[in-house]
Amino acid sequence: MKLATTDIVFATLAAVSGTICYVRFGGPTVIDSVESAAILLVEILPQLAAGLLIGGLVTRLVSREKVAAWLGSGSGIKGLLLATLAGTLTPGGPFTSFPMVYALWVAGADAGALIAFISAWSLLGFNRLIVWEIPLLGAHFTLIRYVACLPLPILAGYLARGLVRWPVFRIADPDAVAPAPETTR
Amino acid sequence: MTVLNWPLAIVWVSVAILAFFVFRREGRPGLKAAGQNALGIGKTLMIRLPLALLAASFLVQIVPVETMSKLIGPQSGFGGIVLASLLGGILPGGPMTSFPIAIVFQQSGAGLPQMVALICGWSIFAMHRILSWEAPIMGWRFVALRLATSVTLPVLAAYAAAAIVAIFDA
Repeated sequence: MKLATTDIVFATLAAVSGTICYVRFGGPTVIDSVESAAILLVEILPQLAAGLLIGGLVTRLVSREKVAAWLGSGSGIKGLLLATLAGTLTPGGPFTSFPMVYALWVAGADAGALIAFISAWSLLGFNRLIVWEIPLLGAHFTLIRYVACLPLPILAGYLARGLVRWPVFRIADPDAVAPAPETTR
Repeated sequence: MTVLNWPLAIVWVSVAILAFFVFRREGRPGLKAAGQNALGIGKTLMIRLPLALLAASFLVQIVPVETMSKLIGPQSGFGGIVLASLLGGILPGGPMTSFPIAIVFQQSGAGLPQMVALICGWSIFAMHRILSWEAPIMGWRFVALRLATSVTLPVLAAYAAAAIVAIFDA
């Protein structure tokens, strides 16, 4: 099995923090920590498995091209709403969403739609909600947090459409930026 | 434990519904491709997730989270909300590491609006994600534009959450 850089970072982080923990608080604290991490893992697994399967299934149902066609630059509030919805439904981590945002950009989505998409994906994403936030922080908190954040992606999209008129924030054509990295993984 | 069973039921029902649509459109090969996609990501998480949970569990012992929680308690007001947004932005890594740390904040006395600001700050400002994904793919100018549009959002969300709580408590 291949070890990615991220795995090494996490392994090092665990080793270093574990050592500090042992030196400062002794063995029992280390054992307690390992135990609570293991319990958390077992609690998360059924949700995580479902989240991964949803991600895999959705990629079969929605093509990138189709999403891009709906988010043209003259799309108005409809485009922002659609971008928000698409971002909310986009599963997976940044390794699936950012290549998708880049594809939308190349296909002609404007800054407002792109920012609404990213904000919705990060604030309202169902996947993260189901896999992490509800199990870990509780349904009550999650509900309040979610409702409070509902209008934010649209707001950010509108602000972006306004700000982009200033030269400082005028984003270049996608071609002027380095090409998107490989999306395998 | 704290696992709620209805969200779990909902997700697995959605898995079944989505699987049905994929099966109807693409048959068995579509389902197989979807499963392989899920398995591919699952494999990378298999090593990373336990390590991340372990690291978060140790970090929580070392980092004075409880002291910090007092700074973002229910009485901390606007200052606490701003501080919580910033703390959220520097929480390390993805949901695997940040949420376990967020639980500790929640359990050691952070206020609800402040917790909302923390989660929003993490969602919007996530340093790690900007450095490794957004800037390389979209360029710094885009990052600047997005941050400019989003800088006040965690604070707005915190006040909206406080308002929601006030309405339902009344």
